[in-house]
Amino acid sequence: MGLLSLLIFLPLAALLLIVLLPKTLQGTFKYIALGFTLFQFLLAGYMYSQFDGSATGINQLSGYRFVEQLSWIRLDLGGLGQLEIDYLIGADGISLPLLLLSSLVMLMAVGASWNMQRKAKGYFALLMLLNMAVMGIFSALDFFLFYIFYEVMLFPLYFLIGIWGGVNREYAAIKFFIYTLFGSVFMLLIIVGLYFSVTNPETGAHTFNMLYMMNPGNYIDGSFFAYGSSNAVWGIPARMLGFIVLFIAFAIKIPIVPLHTWLPDAHVEAPTPVSIILAGILLKIGGYGIIRVCMSIFPDASASANWWLGLIGVISILYGALNALAQKDFKRTIAYSSVSHMGFVLLGLASLTAEGVSGAMFQMISHGFLSASLFFLVGVIYDRVHDRYIYHFRGLANIMPKYTGYVAIAFFASLGLPGFSAFIGEAFVIIGTFNAESVGTGIPRWMAIAGSLGILLSAVYFLWTLQRMFFGKTRLKGSEEWFKALKDLTVREQVILFPALALALLLGTMPFLVFDKLNASVLNLVTLITEQL
Amino acid sequence: MHDFVANLPQTLDQVIQSVPLFKPELALIGAFLAVVCATLFIDKHWKQSSFMIYIGGLLISFPLLCQQLGQPDRGFFDMLIIDSFSVYARMLLLFALLVTGVLIRQHFSEKPTRRPLGEVYSILLAAGLGLHLLTATSNWLIAFIAIETVSISSYVLVGYFSEHKRQSEAAMKYVLFGSVSAATMLYGLSLIYGFTGNLDFTAAAHLQGLMAAPVALCTVAILFIFTGIGFKLGFVPFHLWTPDVYEGAPTPITAFLSTIPKIGAIVLFSRLVHAWLPTPFYFSEVTYLFLVVVAIVTMLVGNLIALRQQNIKRMMAYSSIGHTGFLLMTILAISNNNQEVLLFYLTVYTLMNLATFAFIDAIECTTGSVELSDYTGLGKKFPLLFTCFTIVGISLVGLPPTAGFIGKLLVFTAVFEVYQSSKDILFVLLLIIGTLTSVISLFYYFKIPLFSFLRKGDDESPVTPLNNRLAALLGIGITVLLLVLGLFPNIVLEFLR
Repeated sequence: MGLLSLLIFLPLAALLLIVLLPKTLQGTFKYIALGFTLFQFLLAGYMYSQFDGSATGINQLSGYRFVEQLSWIRLDLGGLGQLEIDYLIGADGISLPLLLLSSLVMLMAVGASWNMQRKAKGYFALLMLLNMAVMGIFSALDFFLFYIFYEVMLFPLYFLIGIWGGVNREYAAIKFFIYTLFGSVFMLLIIVGLYFSVTNPETGAHTFNMLYMMNPGNYIDGSFFAYGSSNAVWGIPARMLGFIVLFIAFAIKIPIVPLHTWLPDAHVEAPTPVSIILAGILLKIGGYGIIRVCMSIFPDASASANWWLGLIGVISILYGALNALAQKDFKRTIAYSSVSHMGFVLLGLASLTAEGVSGAMFQMISHGFLSASLFFLVGVIYDRVHDRYIYHFRGLANIMPKYTGYVAIAFFASLGLPGFSAFIGEAFVIIGTFNAESVGTGIPRWMAIAGSLGILLSAVYFLWTLQRMFFGKTRLKGSEEWFKALKDLTVREQVILFPALALALLLGTMPFLVFDKLNASVLNLVTLITEQL
Repeated sequence: MHDFVANLPQTLDQVIQSVPLFKPELALIGAFLAVVCATLFIDKHWKQSSFMIYIGGLLISFPLLCQQLGQPDRGFFDMLIIDSFSVYARMLLLFALLVTGVLIRQHFSEKPTRRPLGEVYSILLAAGLGLHLLTATSNWLIAFIAIETVSISSYVLVGYFSEHKRQSEAAMKYVLFGSVSAATMLYGLSLIYGFTGNLDFTAAAHLQGLMAAPVALCTVAILFIFTGIGFKLGFVPFHLWTPDVYEGAPTPITAFLSTIPKIGAIVLFSRLVHAWLPTPFYFSEVTYLFLVVVAIVTMLVGNLIALRQQNIKRMMAYSSIGHTGFLLMTILAISNNNQEVLLFYLTVYTLMNLATFAFIDAIECTTGSVELSDYTGLGKKFPLLFTCFTIVGISLVGLPPTAGFIGKLLVFTAVFEVYQSSKDILFVLLLIIGTLTSVISLFYYFKIPLFSFLRKGDDESPVTPLNNRLAALLGIGITVLLLVLGLFPNIVLEFLR
């Protein structure tokens, strides 16, 4: 068993341990979960440090590290040909930073669940299942394997939101499930179509191997998804159709406007740790899927559709920011800010320039731990008074100085203050988009300007929230009772928050820590697509 | 008359030579007779005798069936077809009958009834015999006799335990519907026989006769026949009996009705479709269009109406209608060299349904209710059972990592293959409806975890021990099987090839 498999299946061992231990040992479950995720984080960190930045990844198996390949399902299906499914995993510059990020966010989530008493057994077991699925998604290089992890991820989330969520949890849980499932079942049809169009050049069998799907030479002449084929369904060329369906599946996860409506509901109803995972990891699965699947398998379609992708990105940035401005629920504000910030990811990817795509990757990583800390900060006051309506709080700075300090740092980091990581991500996206016109990828300059407007708006809503809740004379809705309840941050809470915010500063001043690892892969991806322009 | 006498020795020879091919069915017939005798004489002294003979009959039939594996043959003047398709289908039937038998015994040991149970086993064996024939013939006459054997057995099973008005009404509805559709089918058959003079629907004479027949009448005759099969399969618009009957019958009987007759009817139907579809004449068009429309409508109607059900047995009735639509789509997509797709889906479907009803039965024996709202908070009391129940639900939706997913994937693969070679846009439509209905089905299958895990029940009520543990254990065992098949489908698929 290689390191990557160990990383994926460690949580499964934790899950088995938790399920098998009797309920009387309920107190130990959180330590088990913490121990395993900490080990996982150290392992991911070790792998990250061992990874050499020259690995080009994307469409060459030789460009991946930590590769493991086992033949899994081999079937002779008669008229349907030879079926070939592999257990194929590997990491490149795109997936490895996200693996490290996921293990960090998982660690934060376990820390945030420290006071979880109700049905602790089920809770930690589901959390570990989710952990395994997420790691699997970021490592799988076989489409079948990817799809299995992708769907398995949904079940624990459904239950985590549905059982431990707020008042409206049933609605939020099923809405989240249906949105994602709707995207993914149609993805299944495209997978089937790709399976018929692609053969393994070595064995001649049909294959689910994503890397083979990225090589135009492996497509069978005249097959449904063959390059340059005249196949069309209802007037849409087959390859464009495949791209659109896959894009919608992942765009729901990012989420893009107008497919974002599950996100505020899910966030508002989900318990704090689940919000952290949702914002910190799951939205990144959308971005990762677009890079790994949509753009790499359908480079020709993404080269011709990138104007629309950019437009959707810009709309998400502005619409998300304006919505965040209008919210009165603290958590909803943060949720809409996620929509806005993830819009930058899409805009950067659409620019098809090395700067833009690197910026998008950097933005995903930076948004990963920053949104996780923001949701954790919301959870802090919600835990204490079970309220997070912005106008119910005023002048919190006087009674919770440490908390206000952390909030201020997190806000400034998120709104793109130079020196913090979000600045690097957003600046690179804007630069990439601005350069796109000179490179000739078809993204006009006004999209870059509209994107910068989004940064401005994010400053407005973050600072305005800071002003409304934390400054001025202390006035609370719950008067005396809330005064007593609103204690400042505990040591545990600071231990969780400090590393995330320190990381924002570290990556903001030393962005090469990430760029060095992902540069080769990003360049490879950009070449793959711009060849098709 | 002279001809007959002259041919008699040959005829007899043929019959005698064919008898060995009939061994598995002879075992069932033997067991049937033995169970009837046991009910009359032995049950008084040893209550389990009829059940034991039932199990024994199935267990004897199985190895006899295994002998036929890989030895395709025909017997009784080509009325009996022994090929791998029918052997696998019959193996599945025997397995399903075995599970149903155990469920019935468990159910009625929890909920004693005034009526002797022995007779149920004999009826089940008779139904099994009919279904065996249904999978192994391409002759209309045998098919009709087989369908009637199954139907009459089913009427008895539904009506046998009726204790109140609702159940009697369900049984009555079932009989009336069944007789009318049988009569319609027979009328269609007589027309077809008139046109062709041949009762084997794969024979060249039969096909030529159909081609020469007048268009209007031939269409009517074909539609009449589909009525009969449609009733057995329960596809729209012949589905109206299912919800009432499923709800009214005792749970293990519902488990029987929702799965086992379908195996036989689907196998017969797919034989028919394969014989007719490749011919370039209008009746193959009629069959094709009819199937496409019915498959689409059945998937939609079954899944959409299931959304509104509050009773889990009714919900499962509509879910099985939806699955029938899916099976019809499968029939359209498969050809002679990928029958294992259909067989795999049938196997998975049988397993899922048996597990579902095993769970429903276990819960019904404990709480006495089959209303979904009464599942509220039960997840806390029976965590293992409801976790497995949820996994079966996931499999019914067709999501990984369960066998239901592999089944759907294989079917989609087969349909896509047909689309790629024929470029017929109707197949794209079938694919889209097939996927869309999976999303819809999520809503109602997830009502099980919704009520049992997400809604909080009254925590005060004491934790009652689970009655009917064997049914629950069976269900859990099948769930494990579904997961294993979901991750390693080779095990079964390689066997089916």
